[in-house]
Amino acid sequence: MNAKLSIALPVAGIAILATGQVWLSHIRYETSIEISTVQKESAAIKGEMNTLNLELASLTRPERLRKIAQTKLGMAAPRPMQVVRP
Amino acid sequence: MSNPVKDNEGIFIRRRLEAVAGLMAVGFIMLSIRAVDLHWLQAEELRSAADKQRYRQFETVAPRGPILDANGRTLAESIEVPSIAAIAREVPEDRVSELAKALEIDSKRLKAKLDRNQGFIWLARQVTPAQAAKVMALNIEGVRQETEWRRYHPLGPEIGHLLGFVGIDGNGLEGVELSFDDRLAGKSGVRQVRRDARGHSLPGGIWLKEPEIGKTLQLSLDSSIQSIAYAALADGVRKQNAKGGSVIVMRPKDGAIVAMANWPGFNPNSFSDYKPGQWRNRVITDVFEPGSTLKPFTMAAALETGKWKPESKVFCENGKYQVADHTIHDDHEEGWLNMTGLIARSSNIGVAKVALDIGPEQLYNTLADVGFERKSGIGLSGESPGIIPPIGRWGPVETANIAFGQGIAVTPLQLATAFCVLANEGQYMAPKLMLNAEKQSPKRVIAAKDARAIVAMLEAATGPEGTGGKAVPAGYRIAGKTGTAQKPSRDGSYADDRFTAVFAGMAPANNPELVVVVVIDEPQESIYGGQVAAPVFRNIVATALPYLGISPTETTTPDWGVVKASIIDEGIASRQSLMRLSLREARRIASLRGFMLRTHGSGWVIRQKPQSLTSVEAGDEVEVWLGE
Repeated sequence: MNAKLSIALPVAGIAILATGQVWLSHIRYETSIEISTVQKESAAIKGEMNTLNLELASLTRPERLRKIAQTKLGMAAPRPMQVVRP
Repeated sequence: MSNPVKDNEGIFIRRRLEAVAGLMAVGFIMLSIRAVDLHWLQAEELRSAADKQRYRQFETVAPRGPILDANGRTLAESIEVPSIAAIAREVPEDRVSELAKALEIDSKRLKAKLDRNQGFIWLARQVTPAQAAKVMALNIEGVRQETEWRRYHPLGPEIGHLLGFVGIDGNGLEGVELSFDDRLAGKSGVRQVRRDARGHSLPGGIWLKEPEIGKTLQLSLDSSIQSIAYAALADGVRKQNAKGGSVIVMRPKDGAIVAMANWPGFNPNSFSDYKPGQWRNRVITDVFEPGSTLKPFTMAAALETGKWKPESKVFCENGKYQVADHTIHDDHEEGWLNMTGLIARSSNIGVAKVALDIGPEQLYNTLADVGFERKSGIGLSGESPGIIPPIGRWGPVETANIAFGQGIAVTPLQLATAFCVLANEGQYMAPKLMLNAEKQSPKRVIAAKDARAIVAMLEAATGPEGTGGKAVPAGYRIAGKTGTAQKPSRDGSYADDRFTAVFAGMAPANNPELVVVVVIDEPQESIYGGQVAAPVFRNIVATALPYLGISPTETTTPDWGVVKASIIDEGIASRQSLMRLSLREARRIASLRGFMLRTHGSGWVIRQKPQSLTSVEAGDEVEVWLGE
C-alpha cells in the first residue's frame, strides 16, 4: 500500500505540474498576442494623433483664420481704443 | 550430462546476442560520431539556423520630434505615409503598363527602371493613402507597400526660411531642421523577439538597441506674430515693387525671437520647387549697410564718454562737410542741432563730427558691445557675423562713414539685438530661439540713463520733426530710426539705383515689449526707410500690440460704435480735404477710408493736417481742428 502510494503521489504531482506548465505557456502566448495587438493599436492611434495635430495646425493657420475673420465674419483687428489690458 | 543439441542452441543464442550487441555498439558509435558532428563540428551553423527560426529582429523607426511655437502650436510634425516599393525581378512584364498607370508615371520609364535593377527599388515615395490603396489593389507580384515618415510644415511659406526642411530620408537639410537635427532626429532601435512554430511572437523580447524618439523642440516664436509680420512684409514689398525684404521681431526683455520672416517666402513642403538661393534665411545670412539706423549707437558711444550730453549742440555745416579728401552730404541742410535733433533730422554731418570727436576706439567698442561683428549664437547654421573693418584701418573718413552706417555691414538679427540693448536700458541679452533656453543674466553695456536718453531721441525721430512718422500707429508711442543705404555694386563702389530701406524700432516707447527691424531690398517707388520700411513696422506693431494685450497709452478718438456706411458715397469717399465738413461727415470719411481721426474743438473743420488726403493710407492719423 505504502509502496504504491510512494509512486503514485510523485507521478500525480508531476502530472499536475506539467499540466500547469502547459497552461501557463498558453496564457503567456495569448497575452503576448494581446500585447502586440494593443501595441499596434497604440502606434496607430499615435500616428492618427500626429495627423490630427497637423490638420488642426493647418486649419488654425493664422493666415487662414485672418482671411475667414475678415471675409466671412466681417471682423477687423482691434483699433487702439478697443484694447484694454486686464 | 551435456546435451549437444542444447549446447548448439546455446552457442547460437550467444552468437545472436553478440551480433545484436555488436550492431548496437556500431549504432551507438555512429550516433556518438553524429552527436559530436552536430554538437561540435556543425554547432555554430546549426545554432544560428535555429536562432533564425526562433528569433526575429525588428527594426523600429523612431519618429522625428515635432517643432512647436511658444504657445504649443505645431510648426512641424512627422507622420507615416505609404511608399510603393518593388522587388524588380519579381514584377511580371505584362503588368508594367497597368502599374505605371496606377502610379501615374510613364510606362516606358517604369519599364527601364525595372530592367536596370534586380532587387529592391522605390517606385513612388511618400504617396497619398488613396494612391497607395489603388496600386496595392492591383495585387501585382513583387510590388509592396512600405511606410515612411514624412515631414509636414503646416504654416508653409510664412515660416519656411526659419524652419528649413527635411530630405526624403528624414535628415534635416536647412534651417532649424538642419541646425537642431541632433535633437530632432529619432534613433531607430532593434528589438529581438522569440517566436513559436507558427511565427507568433512570444513574450519577453529584448532590445538589442533601444530606439530614441526625437525630442520636441519648442521655439520662442509666436506663430500669430510671425503671420502678422509676414503679411505686413509681403504687403510692403508688393507696394514698393521691391526685390524682397526681411523682418525680425524680438522681445527685448529676454532676447526671445518672436518672429522672423523673409519675402519672397518659400514653402518647405515642396522645397524642391525652389532654387537653393531662395532657401536662405536672409535675416541671419545676409548683411546690409545699416545706414542711419546705426546713428543711435554712435550717439550712445558719445554719451558713454560723459563728455557729450543729450543737450550738447553740433553745427551741421549747412549740408556739406569735408573730412580729409571726402565730402559728406546731408539730405536736408541743417545748422545747429542738439543730439536729439541729430537723430530726429538724421544728419550725417552732425553724427560724423560727434564720432570724430570721440574717436574710433570708443565707437568700435560700443558697436562690438551691442553685438555687431559677431555671431549671435542662436544656433542656426549659416549665420553671418557681419562686417566691420579692422579698427587699425579706421582713418577719419572710415570713422565718419561708420558713424552713420556706411562701410559697415550687419544682419537684421544683429540690428534687432542692438536695438534690444537700447530698449532694455543698456543691457545686452543674447538672442534666443528656444523657449526653454537657459536663463541668461543680462550684461550691462550702456549706462541705463544713456540708453533712456537714446530711446527718447528715437521717440523724437518718429515725432513731427523726425523722419519716421509713418512708423507710428495711432494710440501708441514708438521709438525708432529710419535708414536708407545705397547697395554696393560688384566693382566695390555704390550703385546709384539700388537701395536698402530700413526701419528699426521699439514699441511701446515707454516700456518696450517688442523690437522690430524691417529691411526692404531695392524698393522702386521710394527709396527712403521712412516711406518704405516704416509703414511695414507700423502695420506689424498696430496688430501685434493689441494681440499681446498692450493697451494704447495715447488717447485717440474712440471709434467703437462706428458703423460702416452701407451706401458708399463716392463723392465723399474720394474727397482730398475735410475742410468745412461737419465732425460727423469727417468721421464718416475717416471710417470709410480707414484712417484715424484726432479732433480738436467743435463745429466745422477749419484746419486739417496733413493738408491733402492723397497720401493718407488706412491706419494713418489725420488731425482736424474744428471751429464755428
